[in-house]
Amino acid sequence: MNQDYLDPINALHVPELADTTFAMDLLLRAKDGVRNIAVALTESASPDVRTLLRNHLMQGIAMHQEITELMINKKWFHPYELSEQYKLDQLSANNTLMIGKMNLFPVETNRKGMFDRTPDDH
Amino acid sequence: MDNQKLADHESLDLHEVINFKTLCLAKSKLMQGLVFDDDLRALMQKDVEQSMQALGELQAVYQRAPFEAPVPQNRPTPIVN
Repeated sequence: MNQDYLDPINALHVPELADTTFAMDLLLRAKDGVRNIAVALTESASPDVRTLLRNHLMQGIAMHQEITELMINKKWFHPYELSEQYKLDQLSANNTLMIGKMNLFPVETNRKGMFDRTPDDH
Repeated sequence: MDNQKLADHESLDLHEVINFKTLCLAKSKLMQGLVFDDDLRALMQKDVEQSMQALGELQAVYQRAPFEAPVPQNRPTPIVN
């Protein structure tokens, strides 16, 4: 893996790396969602708020299960074989560290001034 | 009971939940344009639809927060510099 992000050698395995990363993000958000809503529910007094949050909690638990099943089927998540999970964890950490070192955005990105003028008054 | 002002603590927790749900919607929507796997994309689409539904429901209840205020069209001053 060299620093040239346009070099095709760096594109190998990218689909898996991308999908596993997006799936992991979806999974972690689902977990956070369940925990956050459970906490909110235990601070809510109004009956309709509690009902709404309870429904969202149940929905969140179901979504978390669906994501978990998808990831297990795709071999992106190994709850029963933690050595496999260990490999994936270290591998994605290594790959993401490599991406971190790459100079991906060399061009100026501050283009704020380009969005505020309406077409006819510049 | 359904049009009464909300209690303080639950209103603040609603603030947290709404922001969390807003970001979940944004992220799932954004990532749909980036994923390769069709099954993952389909699941993200389901997440988007559920999040939009939930966010609407949360917004409705959030209107009864004691600190509620009229919502402007957009942020008052555009960011220029």
